[in-house]
Amino acid sequence: MSIIYVLIPIAIIIVAVAIVIFFWAVKTNQFEDLDRQGYSILFDDDLPPEEKKLAEQRKQLQDSKIDKSQAPHGRD
Amino acid sequence: MAKHDCYHCGLPVAESDDGKFTTVILGQQRDMCCPGCLAVAEAIVDNGLEDYYQFRTEPAQKSDDGILETLDKLKVYDDPSLQEEFVFEEGQDKQIQLTLEGITCAACGWLIEKQLSKVEGIKQVAVNVQERRALVTWSPFQIKLSQILSTLKRIGYVGSPFHPDEHEASYKREQKTFLKKLGLAGIMTMQVMMLMTGLYFDWFGAIELETRQYFYWVALTLTTPVVLYSGSTFYVGAAKALSAKTVNMDVPVTLAIFGTYIAGIRSTVLEQGEVYFESICMFIFLLLLSRFLEHRSRHRAAQISANMMQYVPVSATKVMPDGSLTECLAKQLKIDDVVLVKPGETVPIDGVVSDGNAAVDESMLTGEFNPVRKSNKSPVYGGTVCQDGSLTITVTQTLKNALVNQIVRLQASAMASKPKAAQIADNFSRYFVTAVLLISALTYGFWAYQGSDEAFWITISVLVATCPCALGLATPSALTCAMAKLNRQGILLKRADALEQITDIDTIALDKTGTLTKGKFTITNAWYADGVDSDSALSIARALELRSEHPIAKAFNEDKALSEKIALSENKASRGSVDSSECPLHKVTNFNVTPGGGISGEINDTLFSMGSAAFSVNESQLKLIDDFPSANVFLTVKGHIMAAYEVKDTLREDTQETLDILATSHTLAVLSGDTQQNVNALTATLPISTAKGGLTPEQKYETVQAMQQSGAKVMMMGDGINDAPVLASADVAIAVGNATDVAKTAADVILLGDQLLSVPELIRTAHQVKQKIRQNIGWSVGYNVLILPFAVSGLLSPWMAVVGMSLSSIIVVTNSTRLLSK
Repeated sequence: MSIIYVLIPIAIIIVAVAIVIFFWAVKTNQFEDLDRQGYSILFDDDLPPEEKKLAEQRKQLQDSKIDKSQAPHGRD
Repeated sequence: MAKHDCYHCGLPVAESDDGKFTTVILGQQRDMCCPGCLAVAEAIVDNGLEDYYQFRTEPAQKSDDGILETLDKLKVYDDPSLQEEFVFEEGQDKQIQLTLEGITCAACGWLIEKQLSKVEGIKQVAVNVQERRALVTWSPFQIKLSQILSTLKRIGYVGSPFHPDEHEASYKREQKTFLKKLGLAGIMTMQVMMLMTGLYFDWFGAIELETRQYFYWVALTLTTPVVLYSGSTFYVGAAKALSAKTVNMDVPVTLAIFGTYIAGIRSTVLEQGEVYFESICMFIFLLLLSRFLEHRSRHRAAQISANMMQYVPVSATKVMPDGSLTECLAKQLKIDDVVLVKPGETVPIDGVVSDGNAAVDESMLTGEFNPVRKSNKSPVYGGTVCQDGSLTITVTQTLKNALVNQIVRLQASAMASKPKAAQIADNFSRYFVTAVLLISALTYGFWAYQGSDEAFWITISVLVATCPCALGLATPSALTCAMAKLNRQGILLKRADALEQITDIDTIALDKTGTLTKGKFTITNAWYADGVDSDSALSIARALELRSEHPIAKAFNEDKALSEKIALSENKASRGSVDSSECPLHKVTNFNVTPGGGISGEINDTLFSMGSAAFSVNESQLKLIDDFPSANVFLTVKGHIMAAYEVKDTLREDTQETLDILATSHTLAVLSGDTQQNVNALTATLPISTAKGGLTPEQKYETVQAMQQSGAKVMMMGDGINDAPVLASADVAIAVGNATDVAKTAADVILLGDQLLSVPELIRTAHQVKQKIRQNIGWSVGYNVLILPFAVSGLLSPWMAVVGMSLSSIIVVTNSTRLLSK
């Protein structure tokens, strides 16, 4: 069990680092706006135009598949 | 249904406009409701930002129709003396904080950032969706501030320069400190809890004494920052209360924390006795959480009101003694300066007309549309709009003392004298704390007298068990949840405790123009003389009215109003009349305005007049008017009636329904600045018990005060500047629809959408909240009372008291969050 004499201090150091990071995050306004950033991932703005077009096409293809598969069940 | 809603803003598309404004978005043809929305949508698509439409969760705000015309007016923001106040230097670059109107969901933030970052010269954009603000850094050599604002406007957002006041800055700092303290306490609680759980579950005594001691030291190390840093909020509060010779909740909290902590250190050092480090951490964490929630709901409310305080600069054209004209800011004007106001301009300041003759629209002060004639020696007021002539004004008041500002001040003083949600909670907590301290002292005395070793720990248990942590969470958690829910429905609460007051309201006072009605004139009825083609009569009427600035004229210039109404009487002709708006209009010559009467002008050498019966209709024909008694605008040729129109401000679509709902539980009263006659005509069909007309802002204010003095709790709904004082003095104030900024500032609740039906919804939610708060308080007080005998009798050890308190807090918060789903 003597290993805990090493492990616990290490854990404390990690916690201290975590707290420093957390304080830094608060200080640099990372918690200012929690709505906005969650959406960034949805937009494909990092794709070049050609790839974006391809992505659109794939999306449409998928949509039409979904529509077809749902059509027989009927939606109301 | 979906086909007839504007793709951009989600409002229904008028039938006459169906198919008129369309563009291709996301590969499909989409209908828009107006040229404004169309322009915005096209700008978004052209910039390759179509993704916005795919990911937005709320429709956009309807853009204003005059969007492209107002772009020029933004130039005033380039004035260096103006920028001084809100633009910061960032090395070579400049930085500004803008409040943004029109943000409806997170996708808007993305749209704005993308759009602005494409503009050359803009270095950095950060949009905060929650606060509806943006921080923009730009290089002044490449782009001007007005260009940035117009770029924003093109995609449908109105940005206004803004600087947060001192008050808000301190709120922000506190918010951050809270977050840090809370985070620290949370992380440490987890660590300490982990160690202590090991010890608690050591049922077989397998952990050696040495290891146990080591754990205590580690826990003490981890607890110390929580006690010293996170808990400091409470010690400061307690010290403040004690120095003011009173007690508050922080006093027993401080006692409990330090008592447990010091005893813990003692036990650890002396290697005997018990420690409750995890209890301290948990206790501080939960208490902080409730404080944080409360602080945040107040912070949000403060932010919303701060956004209203936009910086609106007013510029003026000053006439120098040598006759030359210079542009200057209105606030720089002094008494006896001479100012020139051109047609269509806003009067910058209060003064007396020294030359000229013009109709002035004072609706922003009086709430009524009919323009007031101003000539030599008549007083004019800052903020009103000069409509048809130019005026030379001698300044009589500096901007600080101008009438608009006086109304704002009247509102501020009314706000201060507002019946506050009584400070019962504060009084209650003082007695409560005194009782807690007394009981704890008695408990300690009793057990010490009995010679018990446990006297100290029993006392700590009493302090912790009676700590009203759940009670502290009861109200703020319920209010926060309700605010979030209402926010989603387009109801903005500026003061969270307004919700508590709404449930006590028994009287609702309403403004007429703009609140019950749409606030603009429309043609509701039309009659034509025999042999007169409705199309040609209308095109003549429109040609004449196009030249007029009178608000009634707008009714004729609206395509929508026209075609809809004509469709009622003459189905076939309706399309034709719409198209005629694109045809070149009749040329009007010898155009003439008779103040208070009407207008006249020659078209193809024939003299047409339009206006009231007395003005335009020949005496011999006057009896014909009786055929259409409700008509108020007549088109005549040489005194012969060609057509008659009934033009009036109509009720909103949902007014009747809303008032029917409200009337079942409240007394309704209308307070209007319009004439008694007009008020009576409008309210005849509505379930309204009293209707007063012809009231000035002061009289409205006094009427509500009188109601309050006779014991009524009054909720006021209004929209204009003239409503601001009365809004501020009412128990609860609601700014409706497109209310003026001053009204929004005075109000407690702002309806973002243009629907009155939100009001019954608001009242329903308020009742739900009240019920929730009652349940929460009932539970938490019940728990505290129930646990007290156990604590006093020593059956409860401190850790049990903390677990009990945590459970009770969790139950309260969970109960509150149920509001969100309803």
